[in-house]
Amino acid sequence: MTKKLFFILVSALCASSVFALDEAELDSLVTRFQIEEVEVTARSLTKDVIVPQTLKGAELQRLNALSVADALRYFSGVQLKDYGGVGGIKTINVRSMGSQHTAVYYNGVQLGNAQNGQVDLGRFSLDNMDEIQLYNGQKSDIFQSAREFGAAGNVYLTTRKPYFKRNERAHVRAQMRFGSFALANPNVGVDVKLTEALSLTLDAEYVYSNGKYPFRYRRVLPNGETAYDTTAVRQNGDVNAVRTELGLHHYYRTTGFWRVHAYNYWSERGVPGAIVNNVWRNGERLWDRNSFVQATWQDEWFNRWSTRLLAKYANDYTHYRNYDERLLPSDNEYLQQEAYVSLANKVRLFNWWDLSLAYDYQYNALNRENLLINEGKEFFDRHSYWLSAATAFNVKEYLRLQASVLMTAVTQRPTSASEHSDKSQRPKVTPGLFASFKPYPKIDLSLNAFYKQSYRYPTFNDLYYTDLGNANLRPELARQHSVELAYKISNVQSPLSNDFGYEIAASASYYYNRVTDKIIAYPKGQQFRWTMLNLGTVKINGVDAKADMSFYLPLRFVLRTRLNYTYQTAVDVTNPNDTYYGHQIPYIPWHSGSVVVNLDWESRRGDHYGLNYSFIYVGERYCQQENTVYNYVQPWYTHDLSLYGEWGIRRWWLKAYIEINNLLGQDYEVIQNYPMPKQNIRCTLAFRY
Amino acid sequence: MHTRFQILIGCWLLAVGCWLTSCRGDEIIYPTLGDPITDEVRQGGLYVLCEGNMGSNKARLDYINLESGTYYSNWYGAQNPRQLKELGDVGNDIQQYGNRLYAVINCSHKVEVMDLQARHIGQIEIPNCRYLAFHDDKLYVSAYVGSIADPELLGSVFEVDTASLAITREVKVGHQPDELCIVDDRLYVCNSGGYLTNRYDSTLSVIDLHTFTEKEKIVVGLNPTRVCVDAQKHLWVCCQGNYAKRKPSVVVVGLQRIETGCANIAIQGMTAYILDNENNRLRAFSTIDFTEQEQPVDISAFEHPYALLATQDALYVSDAKNYVSSGVLHCFAYDGHERWRAKTGDIPGHLCRVTQAYELYGDTTTMPTGLSPFIHRVYEFVPAPGQFVNELPKYEEGDNAETMCRKCEVALCNNATGTISLGGWGGYVTFGFDHSVENGEGYDLRILGNAFAMSGNAAYGSSEPGIVLVSKDENGNGLPDDTWYELKGSLYDDPQTKHQVTKTYTREGDTIHNSFHQHPYYPQWIEADELTFSGSVLPSQTEVVNGQTVQRILDFGYVDNKPNKDIEGTSFDLSWAVDEQGKAVELTSIDFVRVYTAVDENNGPTGEISTEISGAIDLHINN
Repeated sequence: MTKKLFFILVSALCASSVFALDEAELDSLVTRFQIEEVEVTARSLTKDVIVPQTLKGAELQRLNALSVADALRYFSGVQLKDYGGVGGIKTINVRSMGSQHTAVYYNGVQLGNAQNGQVDLGRFSLDNMDEIQLYNGQKSDIFQSAREFGAAGNVYLTTRKPYFKRNERAHVRAQMRFGSFALANPNVGVDVKLTEALSLTLDAEYVYSNGKYPFRYRRVLPNGETAYDTTAVRQNGDVNAVRTELGLHHYYRTTGFWRVHAYNYWSERGVPGAIVNNVWRNGERLWDRNSFVQATWQDEWFNRWSTRLLAKYANDYTHYRNYDERLLPSDNEYLQQEAYVSLANKVRLFNWWDLSLAYDYQYNALNRENLLINEGKEFFDRHSYWLSAATAFNVKEYLRLQASVLMTAVTQRPTSASEHSDKSQRPKVTPGLFASFKPYPKIDLSLNAFYKQSYRYPTFNDLYYTDLGNANLRPELARQHSVELAYKISNVQSPLSNDFGYEIAASASYYYNRVTDKIIAYPKGQQFRWTMLNLGTVKINGVDAKADMSFYLPLRFVLRTRLNYTYQTAVDVTNPNDTYYGHQIPYIPWHSGSVVVNLDWESRRGDHYGLNYSFIYVGERYCQQENTVYNYVQPWYTHDLSLYGEWGIRRWWLKAYIEINNLLGQDYEVIQNYPMPKQNIRCTLAFRY
Repeated sequence: MHTRFQILIGCWLLAVGCWLTSCRGDEIIYPTLGDPITDEVRQGGLYVLCEGNMGSNKARLDYINLESGTYYSNWYGAQNPRQLKELGDVGNDIQQYGNRLYAVINCSHKVEVMDLQARHIGQIEIPNCRYLAFHDDKLYVSAYVGSIADPELLGSVFEVDTASLAITREVKVGHQPDELCIVDDRLYVCNSGGYLTNRYDSTLSVIDLHTFTEKEKIVVGLNPTRVCVDAQKHLWVCCQGNYAKRKPSVVVVGLQRIETGCANIAIQGMTAYILDNENNRLRAFSTIDFTEQEQPVDISAFEHPYALLATQDALYVSDAKNYVSSGVLHCFAYDGHERWRAKTGDIPGHLCRVTQAYELYGDTTTMPTGLSPFIHRVYEFVPAPGQFVNELPKYEEGDNAETMCRKCEVALCNNATGTISLGGWGGYVTFGFDHSVENGEGYDLRILGNAFAMSGNAAYGSSEPGIVLVSKDENGNGLPDDTWYELKGSLYDDPQTKHQVTKTYTREGDTIHNSFHQHPYYPQWIEADELTFSGSVLPSQTEVVNGQTVQRILDFGYVDNKPNKDIEGTSFDLSWAVDEQGKAVELTSIDFVRVYTAVDENNGPTGEISTEISGAIDLHINN
């Protein structure tokens, strides 16, 4: 290996912690980055009104996680739906309100799927991710796009930003990951400093897995004798995916910047399907292409007025084909397009009072074509408008308040199906009220509370799915009430000193949510004909408790632990005559939680060695509305272990990881009849220059 | 500093330890016993094939022994525990032929062949199979796809030799063929075209059974799904229409068209019964002159009528409810009265009577009952005025006695750990389980409240005792209108306890509100302006101890008296039951429990003494 080879590796995390050691070395660009951060968050009056759950940097990279979905399992109040394997769909549900109440933002702009409202988080790699944040309610900062005020839960994904030391012109990273089930996952990235203010990032990744993992079904008789015990191999779960991203970042003066981000994802995968009696493989195939370009521009005037402009165009193509000879063949194509613009303004009236106003517009269109039955294309589109006003102010030192109001208007007009009429509905107005009370200036103890309403709009599938849709659907309404007690304490010495130090952040929250007008599929009068109706009320009560603790031990050992626990009841209270009235809704466990323990040792030269252990527990739950013995789903819990080393050799960095997931090889299912992989291994080798 | 560190390390080790001990159990296959039924004829048995939803693998074959009245859920699973992944995905038809049962499992792509006790004999692999018909020891199966994928998406009918279970012949028919029937040597199959929206088929294919070729297609009506034959060899066909302008109808081929919803059709004697799912009614037509007869039974309260079976002595009609939860099977006599009803699995779709009554092999006494140890039903909730009335549970505009009971169920059923308040003296709640509670050895029942003991002096605390009454469903109507017996607590014989007291509260008298609760205390859903209660009044136990207003905790026998962690202190023995005269009564089991607030006392700022309940547990059910 010669010095000319640029292959490298680095997780941003590692880089940033290195920089933290000698800030003096940071060049002006880095300073500007920091100014940007300060501008956007630290100077905001409402910082910490809503405390997000955050995973970032090295902690994120050291988790036993391949995708964003894997990482979100470590947040409290989150339920992950996982259909298994690298290619299986993974969606999240925050505080039991349903996955469509959770919005996912990629570098500040929402990812959309107007067709079914679900974002498959299994497709977002962690390798170029810098930070994942989950906000219950909404983001603390009122300087946001109007649409961001609209969702009940918000997940922010932030990709790695370029950092250059003085005299550095470029960074190159290269990484290779291998693993069980023929996983091959190379990743390269280049950051180039074009001028002092302008930089470019490139990132490309390929993922392949054949998805052939063994799974086992075992049942016993009531007397304990084995009824059957069989092991089979998951079929048609292969995935081939290529992701490429290009970013341009330009920072000027000390206040403004613009960024352009282009993203392309292409994949082909099998849809492994449910394992049912006599069916051990399925033949559905899925091709996807997701492309988008988004641009952000932001500046500030007179130290008082900030403006941000966002624009995005997305073009998503999906082709679904069924090759299973035992089923009726099907071959469908979908093309979704989205155009989005947002203008947000924030004014600082006084040092203690901010106001913001934002307007967003989005256009969505869907073309659907059945290639077997040549009935032509179906076309649906929708215009959405959001207008938000928000204010934040501080009362003395101890009380921070934030209030927002959002008006949403949606018009949709399916142009091919004449029987659906124009269904513009009256604009909906939803408020949000947030407060944070910090009684003691010297103790980091705060009491946070919020109330928020949010609507989830029917998707194109809800509205127009063949024979199933119902163009008269109203949006589903979620009302959230939440109180939280958060406490932080730290005593940190210099990281290189031999003294004991610690950082502890703990919080507990109680929430009560009520979802009304829930959109559910309900049989029509005729045999097996379903329709979507606004029929359903769910009452959710929950408690989240979490504690993040870091202990700085002698001899440069650091022990980090992260504990999460959630208890929740989410009961159907639609109709007292239903047999499932008062029962826990499907796939919501009463108890869930996770433990992450990381022990890291840093050598005098700055090399790192460490061990990471994580444990996830999801308690018993039911797979259908009715809580009967036949719908009971067993708890599952997995132990994951990883070992890593990170070495710096002059300007080179080398990292090596070995992960063992599901260490005890538990046979479990997250979704019934979709078995999950048993024990599996991943190895990662990465270089950075 | 290091000490604190050690404590923290200890804490997380403890937390990890707790997690590691919460375990998965084995996944057990077993039948459960449903509620017993009582049939007046008591002959033979009935198989109920519950379809289950696609992808759920929840096709379930239940069996009702009509002689003993036992309802066995998952009978197939119990008879064939070694079948991998049980019966399969989406049951679509079941029929008896000779001494065998044949069941179509649509998404498992098989016809399951069983003996009459549903023990597995073999299976026939037929892709996407739908319905069955039999003729001369041959089985005919319609299927949405043929053995070779067809570019036109045509379906097939397969012929199977019932002796060897081998497919002998196959013939291509129309799109998505559904039910089929055989008249002489012709087979008729409905070509529904059900997957081709806007292009439904409308024909029956006629197949010559000698040559096994399609002779012709008869046009009947849009989207035909079901067909059966009457004694005159007329074919009755259910056509579903296009679910929009073209209405569903029943066509008697070549003779008559009746506009009606038709989820299902059955012919018994000279009458054709049509399940009209558009209007929730069971219509009857003469097969001689097609005149409509009086509707034999009333099914207007059904949510989604689904299966239909007409035998010589009974009409069986199922209600599939919302298709994703348990259905209900109803058995009617032809004079219209309901003989029994039973809760089934998901989508009870297909029924098959057998002449023999079977019991399950093995020891059924150890069979799990599927019963819940927790409260199943709240029958009455009548609190006396109080500070938490209209709040626990919350009264909302439009609520009535029925909806308030359902709200209590949300708080109490299924170990929900909610709380309800009975208000002042006399206010009560009546609840029951999904079974009778046996009077076994020792304690039988626990009832939870929100009592707590004072720190440092466990003889005192917050005790708001409630008296427990129990009752057996003597008249068998399922309602708590039978004789009540009191469970004798420690103060029953106390001279200060007053028995047979009556007290009336009025809406007008609802004026004493404390500063914390400014809402009405009188239960707002009760229409009457007066509420009268009767029962025993226990003496006040309130004292001031160490400056705190507390109550002396009673010895035993009262609800909301001792803290929930005190298992013995919250448990009750049905052997404590006494009648109105105070004479001990021997109860073998009880069906209803009533609890009422037993102290009549108001403590100003802390409000009246009101019993709170947060659940109940049958100690003999161990699931």
